[in-house]
Amino acid sequence: MADKDQPRKGGIFQVFKDIVYGMSSHEMTRHAVRSRASMEHLFILITMGDLLGVPILPPYYALRLLPYVTPQIATWKRRMLRERDITDTLG
Amino acid sequence: MSLRDVFERQPQRRYIMFGGKGGLGKTTLSATCAYWLARQGKRVLLFSVDPQASLSDIFQKDIFGKGAVPIIENLWAQEIDADKRIQEYQDEIRKKILDMYGFDRVPEEIESYIASASAEPAMEESAIFDAVVDIIVKGDYDYYIYDLVPLGHALYYLSMAKVYDEWINKITKLREEMGQYDRVAATLRRQEKVEEDKILEELRYIKSRINTSSQILTDKQKTAFFFVLAPEEMIILDTRKAAELFARFDVPISGYVVNRVLPQELRRDNIPTYLKNRIQLQEKYLGEIRNSLGGQILAYVPEMERDVTGLPMIERLAGQLFENSR
Repeated sequence: MADKDQPRKGGIFQVFKDIVYGMSSHEMTRHAVRSRASMEHLFILITMGDLLGVPILPPYYALRLLPYVTPQIATWKRRMLRERDITDTLG
Repeated sequence: MSLRDVFERQPQRRYIMFGGKGGLGKTTLSATCAYWLARQGKRVLLFSVDPQASLSDIFQKDIFGKGAVPIIENLWAQEIDADKRIQEYQDEIRKKILDMYGFDRVPEEIESYIASASAEPAMEESAIFDAVVDIIVKGDYDYYIYDLVPLGHALYYLSMAKVYDEWINKITKLREEMGQYDRVAATLRRQEKVEEDKILEELRYIKSRINTSSQILTDKQKTAFFFVLAPEEMIILDTRKAAELFARFDVPISGYVVNRVLPQELRRDNIPTYLKNRIQLQEKYLGEIRNSLGGQILAYVPEMERDVTGLPMIERLAGQLFENSR
């Protein structure tokens, strides 16, 4: 996770903090990041839906946002068009 | 009240629109009004939001896609070239993608989206809508006169501001919610800074532009919307319906201008039956207009003996409309 890049200091105390983080907040962080990613895909759907054949208004202003979502388009399309089964709801 | 009174008594009304069915003289009246205001020493920009603009025809000068072209002292006219604007806009988007990610060409999928989005029928109107915001935001003129598209289209244009407004509000809200998750994750990870959301910035920019446009269209203090009609049955009916629809979009209707009124002096002469009947019929419809609109009628514009094109004709009509209106 993001902590990897941060310089380690504080020795044993830092290790203790990391363990507490891992036990308590890590799961919450993961959840927040995952929710954020889902919303990102929802956002692209309502602005760039045309890419999947869902007509969206108004294309003129949607184009302004296109450069910012360009890198995510491929994963977004995969996720949106993927077939779903029972394991998705369990997962 | 006459058309002149409206301008003299309400000088704060800087955005002037003439609406009405096709072929009733909206462009003629817009040009005449712009001409008269410029002659009064006001700086006026007359611009067309019609993809099939006819300002070039009325001023007998090719102004299409050339920006604000000076016509006489204090008067400029502009016809927006939507295709050119769309092209420039697409290039701007492509360049942004290349610059942001260091690609040497736009990914195929993205390129085809850019191309297909631009082929949407709404694209041309949106481009003009955006160009108008550009013109207005600059604020270089005392008066902005819109040469509007025919009724159905004008309604579409007006509703566009409303639809955009709702669309942009919804997605801005969603984007802000996404920002909350970013902040939660950042706090849990003890990061001090959350990366700025460029998309949210962009959305706020779009929002401010749409708001500018929709505020002007519905601002009773700054905007005057005049309906142009003619003494004919269908036109009266359509105008009545349109007025109701415009009121629904909160467009402030400032009054009506009756165009194409056959001149009084025709009545005296020994005229053919055909013309006599036409005059009688028109008299009947003028009566109807007077009864239903009464005090809201600002001017009766006579049918001229030739087309109103070129500055001498516009000047003549301005005289009739602003100096001798009854």
